[in-house]
This record gives sequence, structure tokens and C-alpha cells, in this order.
Amino acid sequence: MPQSIYEKYGGFSAISRIVLDFYDKALDSDEIGDFFDDVDMNRLVDHQTKFIAYLTGGPADYTETRLKQVHAHLGIKDDHFDEMKRLLADSLSEHGMTGEDVGAVLDAIEQRRNVIVV
Amino acid sequence: MLIEAISEQLLKAMGVGVALVNAGDLKIRFTNPTFCEWFGQSHNGSSIGDVFESLNVEALRETLSKTGQYTLETRVKKKRRILIIELAFREAVHEGGDIIVVECQNISRVREMESMLDSYAHMVERKTRDLELEKEQVEKLLLNIMPRSVYEEFKTFGVVTPQLYEPVSVLMLDFVGFTSMAASADPTVTVGELNDIFSSFDRIAEQFGCERIKTLGDAYLAVSGLPHPNIDHARAVTNSAVRFARYLQRRNQSHQHQWQCRIGLASGAVVGSVVGVQKYVYDVFGPAVNLATRLQVLSEPMEITVHGDMAAELADEFQLIDGGKQDVRGFGKQQIYKISI
Repeated sequence: MPQSIYEKYGGFSAISRIVLDFYDKALDSDEIGDFFDDVDMNRLVDHQTKFIAYLTGGPADYTETRLKQVHAHLGIKDDHFDEMKRLLADSLSEHGMTGEDVGAVLDAIEQRRNVIVV
Repeated sequence: MLIEAISEQLLKAMGVGVALVNAGDLKIRFTNPTFCEWFGQSHNGSSIGDVFESLNVEALRETLSKTGQYTLETRVKKKRRILIIELAFREAVHEGGDIIVVECQNISRVREMESMLDSYAHMVERKTRDLELEKEQVEKLLLNIMPRSVYEEFKTFGVVTPQLYEPVSVLMLDFVGFTSMAASADPTVTVGELNDIFSSFDRIAEQFGCERIKTLGDAYLAVSGLPHPNIDHARAVTNSAVRFARYLQRRNQSHQHQWQCRIGLASGAVVGSVVGVQKYVYDVFGPAVNLATRLQVLSEPMEITVHGDMAAELADEFQLIDGGKQDVRGFGKQQIYKISI
């Protein structure tokens, strides 16, 4: 079995740093930060940990139905989605991921655009 | 610079929020910039109880007098983020009077890490459960192709040492005209029926202490006396063989396809082993297997053929019909018997 990006960068210890960094960036972003206003911290961290683990081939299972469910009521538009991708790309690169792997993660997230954007 | 001025500058530069409060009336005397950033400006002169609504002043006084320290957790919203701040109240003396030092630590990141660890633990636990289930499935599949004791050896050592089993009895069954039946009828139906029949054979074999080793096309091979010795091995395979034939007779009465079998039984030695590395099967080899195969060929449809040595073991329980001496390839002239169904 080929090694996943999750394993390649050292598993949870590396991914956890990316998650926290992305969490900060998302909350501080003027474009998408408001989506996270008043969201319970535990839930948000839980979601982002699982989601990023899922995108990088870690031990999380996210069905598209579940993704649709958690995003449905938020009214996320393409612009928001693009901003989120940009922030995630920054987080991944800043934590030493190669351009190729960042591209792979972004591709993976792009494939879920239609379940996240309404 | 006076020590006092240095202390004040230090307090102002700290990332920890600090407030100094009169021990008597709980009025705030000093707050550093970090404190103000979190809890607002110009507290001087107001009571600490007004700043932290969740603060129980009586409890604070009581605990401070007993232990000298009191802690409290509070939340403040800064922009979109809810900060979790831990407040520690400690008694101190300043300019000859009793004061309380309130030290405020931002523990949001700690909490975020905790919740991330929870999240990770859940993911891993779930994955572990899934893996356990998968492992059970694989185990079940492997137990279908090899005896449990062989599987245990395979699991522990990664290899199986070929082992000689003697004496054992082998049952070899083959269907009459299966090839033409499979060609003439819908093959999926034929194979479906074959599956039914073999599943029934498995149950019968197990009931009589035999182990099915393999099926190959329409051939069915079972052994008794392996992996655990069975003194009744000859009777075990014969009982199974008779039940197989009776089962088919009964089944044929109510089904369109007529299934007719030939069975050969032989006692002797076999070697059992796992064969192959990637695509492994558990198989048996040896004279008993070969003889059973040859005797099966000598059977007419719905007949069970057995050789002389084995027949001696069965005479008490089964009705044997003398089949005379027959030339069995590789085994010379053999006295054979047919077993009445």
C-alpha cells in the first residue's frame, strides 16, 4: 500500500500542528472567520482534526453525506471555499509539505466542493 | 531605576494578565496591559467581583484564608475566539498591607490541544475496532481453507511445517456428467446448486468428524484424522459418504437437476501443508489421497468404493458388497468393495 501524506509527514504529531495553525488562520480570516463565530471550540477542533486527517489519508472516515450535513446550514459560497483552500495551502506549506503533496490535498478538497458549497 | 519601577515595567510587559487587589475591600489597585486587553480598561477602584461575575467572593475569601490560593476559570470573547482564562488568586504583602495577586493565564491552546487529542483518540479507537472486525473476517476466511491448529501455527510462525498424518481416511467425491451439465444449463444456476450441495456436505462432514480440505471444480475432498487423530477415521468418512449419497438421492426427488456422485474412500497416510506464498491453500498429499481418487473413478454413479484394508474396519457397521480384484493404477491389484447406501 502506498504511504499516505498523513504517514509521510509523521502522522498525528505533524498533522496536529497543521490543524491548529489552520484553525487560527480560519478564525482570524476576515473572509471566512465569521462562519466560526460562536461555534463551540471542541466541535470545531474535532471537525478540523478529522477533516484534515481524512484529506491526508489518516485514520478518519468522513462520508460526503456527513460533510454535507455539517456545512448545509452555513450558506458557504465558492469565494469562501477558495479562501479556505488558500489558508489550508498556506498552513500545509508553512509546515514543510512539498508543493506536490499540497496539490494532492487541495485536489482532494476540491473534489468535495459541491458538498460543501451550497 | 527603583526596584518598584522595574517590577511595574515587568508586570506590564508580561503575556500573563496580572491584577493587584486589596485583600480587605477587594478593590483593584493595578492591572497590567494583558489583563486590560482581556477584561477591559480602567478597573482601578472597582471591585474584583464586578469584573468577574462568576467569582464567588465568599468562597474566594474562605479558600484564600485556608490555603492561600484560589483558582477560577473564565471565558472572554476576543473577536471571534472564546478565550479560556485561568485565574489564580494568591495572597501577598505590598507596602505593609495585605493584597491579592490575580494571575491570569490564557489556557485556550491547552484546551484546544485536549479537544484535538480527544478527537484523535476517537478516530484511532474507531479505526482499531474496524481493524479488529476486518481481522475476524480474514481469520474466518482462513479457517475455511485450513484447520484451526494449522492456522494458529501459520499465524504464529508465518509458515506451516508439512506434517505427516497417519492413519487417516480420505473421501473423494466427484459428480457424474458435471461438465456437460454446466455446459447445457445456465452455469450460474449449476454453480449455485453446487454451492448448496457442498455447503450441506460441509455440515454432514463436520457432524461425523471429517474436515473438508478443498473442492476443485465439482470434486470434493474430505479427511478424517487430521489435524487431530481420530481412531474412528474410517467409519467417519464412510458415514459421511453414505450421508452424502442419501442427501443427493433425497434432493434429486424434488429438483430438476439430477446430481449423481461417485465416491472413493481410502485409509493411509497423508502429508498436510500450506502450499504457496501469496495465494496459499491448505492441501493434503500422499498415497491415501491418490488411492481414494482412483477408487472414486472405479465407482459407478451413486456408488461408494473402498479398498480391502479399510473395508475390514467397516464390516461391523456397513453392508459391503464384494467388487472383486481390480487393477488400481499405482497400487497394483486391489480387492475392492462397494458400500451399500
